[in-house]
Amino acid sequence: MNICILIVAACTLFTGCKSNTGSKESAQNSLPYEVDEAVEVSLESKPIVHNIPLVEDKKNYAITPVVTGLTNPWGMSWLPNGDLIYTEKDGSMYRFDGKSSYTITNVPEVYARGQGGLLDVTVHPNFKENNFIYVSYASPEGAEPGGNTAVARAVLKNNELTDLKVLYKASPNTKQGVHFGSRFAWDGDGYLYFSTGDRGNRDENPQDLTRDNGKIYRIHDDGRIPVDNPFVNTAGAKTAIYCYGNRNVQGLTTHPKTGAIIAHEHGPEGGDEINFIKSGVNYGWPVISYGEEYGGGVFAENTQKEGMAQPFYYWTPSIAPSGFAIIDNPAYGDWNGNFLVGSLKFQYLEMLRVTKSGVIKREKLADQFGRLRNVKISPDGIIHIGVEGKGIFTITRN
Amino acid sequence: MKLLNYTLLVLISIAMSSCGDAKKNDTIATNNNAAEENAVTDPLVKSVTRGKAIYRELCVTCHLTNGKGVAGAFPPLNPSDWLTGKRAASIHAIKYGLKGPIEVNGKPYDNIMLPLGLDDQEIADVMNYTIQTWNSGEIVTLDEVKAVKK
Repeated sequence: MNICILIVAACTLFTGCKSNTGSKESAQNSLPYEVDEAVEVSLESKPIVHNIPLVEDKKNYAITPVVTGLTNPWGMSWLPNGDLIYTEKDGSMYRFDGKSSYTITNVPEVYARGQGGLLDVTVHPNFKENNFIYVSYASPEGAEPGGNTAVARAVLKNNELTDLKVLYKASPNTKQGVHFGSRFAWDGDGYLYFSTGDRGNRDENPQDLTRDNGKIYRIHDDGRIPVDNPFVNTAGAKTAIYCYGNRNVQGLTTHPKTGAIIAHEHGPEGGDEINFIKSGVNYGWPVISYGEEYGGGVFAENTQKEGMAQPFYYWTPSIAPSGFAIIDNPAYGDWNGNFLVGSLKFQYLEMLRVTKSGVIKREKLADQFGRLRNVKISPDGIIHIGVEGKGIFTITRN
Repeated sequence: MKLLNYTLLVLISIAMSSCGDAKKNDTIATNNNAAEENAVTDPLVKSVTRGKAIYRELCVTCHLTNGKGVAGAFPPLNPSDWLTGKRAASIHAIKYGLKGPIEVNGKPYDNIMLPLGLDDQEIADVMNYTIQTWNSGEIVTLDEVKAVKK
């Protein structure tokens, strides 16, 4: 009964949101394709994924170490002075000033089982004035054993997190060590977006707006819930939810030209997706999916259903995507504007050429370099990758 | 009364062995004929059952449900000469992670597995699941896992 109402509400929102996008996303257009059309993606038409060439690594670029000897560099963000802030999943956090890494202290306690730990980090767009820094992590806080995704804000002062305030804590905790989500993105209006995974409970979490997990959230920079969030008037709903039906989003980015919030997510065996994130939309997990169950066999009844968005793109077999960035720097030549996605599974950085009609070309970078956990563009426009068991590196073209 | 007890025991044995994969049943169910033997193998059955849940939670993403892994990326556990031939190294890998080139069933792999945050009993359980389900070997005990140091 409840779910019926939710679905109807979601359908309404889903159809309602189609018309009001792109109003402020028009001006600059230096990209080699039509950005406005690229962002006005249809959430209804089936993605085209077949016969898109995957170009082998041309190795026509340089990979240069920034910080080496790391185990699992999950998050990266930059201070206005150019210092790199990075996290290690085990719970440690550092500031790198170009020469040395300094430990940042007073990091909150993390639940480090499986995929859990200290996850993403992001510096406030207006850090110069407020010194705010945000971390996402698997937190044991709460009554139940186990953990769940939390987002905290702190003031960075002399390599220490001070005035730490938990802005959001997903609940309930569970001992499942999978699917914490965690990725951050800011939009042009200063809203903070973050993801939670379904915590291995796909049957209960992703489609239920009264439960956390399997969602992307939108909050103010101080944790308040925006009054125009899609479910603020939905009875019992977690009002921070911005969209739902997401399995495990480990890549979230803001389009540098259009401001669109774009996510990718892990499918099970197959069915990793790229989605343009719109308010109130149901992205379908686990009701629709192009993926297969672990061990084989299609488990989702459908790949399409009314009221549920189609992915912009999907990968089958899975590449296990983590980290997401879009190149916005003419120095990269014909790479400029391309999407970058780390592949944990096949150990390369995937570069995707995107147009209004979808992905038209894929190319491997850093092939067999390692498990690509993260990819970010630094404020000066340089591609940075975080590689498990190795560290952080730049990719530049000659 | 005695007969009823025995029937119950048999039923329980069947129920326990039928919850696993087909192959696991082959190796363990055969030991369940006599009550005495059942008492001996019980810790292993329990450990394998717990290990299966852990495997399905944390290991399937790379090694897959059937333990076959992904060619060129993630080595198989079904079967694996590395797992059976290098017990201590396998425990060490689950406990502290594993990085760099290894050879499994004659094929090279060069990847990284990060430590999973499992406690020692959980490591024993998941070792027992993978050994008993797709390979063969003695039970991995808590003490054996404890003895593997960084």
